[in-house]
Amino acid sequence: MSRSYDRALTVFSPDGHLFQVEYALEAVRKGTCAVGVRGQDVVVLGVEKKSVLQLQDPRTVRKVAMLDDHVCLAFAGLTADGRVLIDKARIECQSHRLTVEDPVTIEYITRHIATIQQKYTQSGGVRPFGISTLIVGFDPHDVKPRLYQTEPSGIYSEWKANAIGRSSKTVREFLEKNHKDGMSRDDAIKLTVKSLLEVVQTGAKNIEISVMESYGKITSLDLSQIEAIVADIEREKEAEAERKRSRLAATAAGQAAMMQRTGESSGQ
Amino acid sequence: MARRYDSRTTIFSPEGRLYQIEYAMEAISHAGTVLGVLAKDGIVLAAEKKVTGKLLDLSSAKQGGYGGSGEKIFLLNSNVVAGVAGITADANSLVNYARQAAQRHLYLYNEDIPVELLAQRLCDLKQGYTQYGGLRPFGVSLLYAGYDPHYHFQLYHSDPSGNYSGWKATCIGANNGTAQSLLKQEYKDDITMEDAIGLVLRVMSKTMDSTTLGSEKLEFATLTLDPATKTPKAKVYRPAEVDALLEKQGLGKKDEDTEMRAT
Amino acid sequence: MDISFALTGKGYVIVAADTTAAHSIIKVKLDEDKIKTLSPHLLMAYTGEPGDTVQFAEYIERNIRLYQIRNIYALRPPSAASWIRRSLADSLRSRKPYSVNLLLGGYDTSTHTPHLYWIDYLGTLASVPFAAHGYGSYFALSLLDRYHDPEASLEEGLATLRRCIDEVSKRLIVSPGKYKVKVVDKDGVRELDF
Repeated sequence: MSRSYDRALTVFSPDGHLFQVEYALEAVRKGTCAVGVRGQDVVVLGVEKKSVLQLQDPRTVRKVAMLDDHVCLAFAGLTADGRVLIDKARIECQSHRLTVEDPVTIEYITRHIATIQQKYTQSGGVRPFGISTLIVGFDPHDVKPRLYQTEPSGIYSEWKANAIGRSSKTVREFLEKNHKDGMSRDDAIKLTVKSLLEVVQTGAKNIEISVMESYGKITSLDLSQIEAIVADIEREKEAEAERKRSRLAATAAGQAAMMQRTGESSGQ
Repeated sequence: MARRYDSRTTIFSPEGRLYQIEYAMEAISHAGTVLGVLAKDGIVLAAEKKVTGKLLDLSSAKQGGYGGSGEKIFLLNSNVVAGVAGITADANSLVNYARQAAQRHLYLYNEDIPVELLAQRLCDLKQGYTQYGGLRPFGVSLLYAGYDPHYHFQLYHSDPSGNYSGWKATCIGANNGTAQSLLKQEYKDDITMEDAIGLVLRVMSKTMDSTTLGSEKLEFATLTLDPATKTPKAKVYRPAEVDALLEKQGLGKKDEDTEMRAT
Repeated sequence: MDISFALTGKGYVIVAADTTAAHSIIKVKLDEDKIKTLSPHLLMAYTGEPGDTVQFAEYIERNIRLYQIRNIYALRPPSAASWIRRSLADSLRSRKPYSVNLLLGGYDTSTHTPHLYWIDYLGTLASVPFAAHGYGSYFALSLLDRYHDPEASLEEGLATLRRCIDEVSKRLIVSPGKYKVKVVDKDGVRELDF
């Protein structure tokens, strides 16, 4: 690898790469998975939660942060970087209210975060933030749920559903296949859990779900609720598999009967 | 520590890792063990000292709650005691920063700094050193034992990356794996201070290299609530007090050792 | 010309402020809210130089909110009072000091006690059982000396407040017509019809 271009500073390599930014994305890919799904009038944020160790205080293991009454953020990547960036965003939320009296729009705060991330790809002697973020919320006086994503490069974009972090590609493909416009609250939650289950093998105890239903109305589901949804999904899968099996059995039986018939006919 | 790694800024490796942080953590895993246990009515902190020697003069151990020998356990504020593991010089500068942060909070809010907030302040500093150019990360992990009215007694751990988390009982430094599993087996919720002190000393005696515990190898501190004023009371044991405590717990030196030292 | 009162009782603090916005000798507005809710259990009545009051109150409001969002829990009333006092004291020593007087009422959810602080533009902070700013204080303090009871129920507290307001209406030349009354207790902040 072109050694001097990926070290010390984020600079272009001869073939036009910013290696430090690409490597930061690798850090994101190592992070725990986070999923955002937009429904008709709800937006759901789901994150993969590392198991809390036996002697650890679960209160201090948080993956979803509130930026303001109406904005939530989940990140994937380096936790310490996340904390610092979240703090900057929180200050901006209040500062914005102080200057123009209105709460931030989701797009505004996303752009603000992305701008900070961009600065760290171009300023002297700093490395980029090793995190991608999903930002959800409702704009003031608006009923449309919002979901944005930012990356270490400073790119930001709006989504109907998206995933960041570990195995996000698999999850995104799953979302592309299964996302429908205008989903109800329950359907959106279910899709979020389902898509997380693509990467989280250990089930409900490692999943955290936050639901925002309207401006400033945020609830996080407790373990029993998530367990119920997971059980529901498993039942569905089971039923689906059962159907498949019986269908297969039916075709197999049909084929066998055919074979027999042909055998009989050929025997005669 | 390995000089050749120190010459560069902390930057991402192609796999998205920050090697400098990982090396710093490596340095810490060789450092003297620090162990903390949260009890229902207080917190216990103990640390293994590495700087020892027959001629080391500990007679100047400070009064007024400070105690210790200034190597491993420090009073950060009247409501927080910390144990450090890693590069001692880095630790000294972090301790100084923490004390200032605590005093700044007192100046602004006229209250003891909440424990988690103090841990966050230090973590923000540590994180900064992993992102801004030309510097290496702090080679220090800390255990913070503190009290505030929001969450009462709390035990936090922070590492060189600027991550932190809360614990009921945990351990940093050399042999922390062994200590961790011992704690896992023996820790019970609602443990009393007395049992916690016993647990800490037992685990320490198992993880430390030497066969006997003594004040020249051990620093010890507790944080409790003053029964009269209901305010946090930190006590960093002075060397003589550590020996007295070990004696009481039946983990003190054998007679011959004392004799040897007397002569 | 602003008038504000506050008094503590059993597990609550009542804060009242007139609703007149004046310019020179003209009443510009009669329903101005001069009491800000700073956090779920914290109220602040502000009086003084009209532009300064709002500017300062909003600055305080946003910073207290920021503290709460960052730390999940809110600042406790004594800490908030200290920080606000510090802000005013720093402002006093700046090129353009705020001319704002405050009454800060709060309920400490960790010790379950009501707190009331009297703060003025010079950076004075006093923890008090009852307080007043403006011309009202000339009439109210003696009444409060006589009738205030820290163990009073909310109804009794409101009756004492009523005495103060009635006295001001009776004796003060430029007495305001309307007051806004808010209370903070264990359930948080709410406005009372008065």
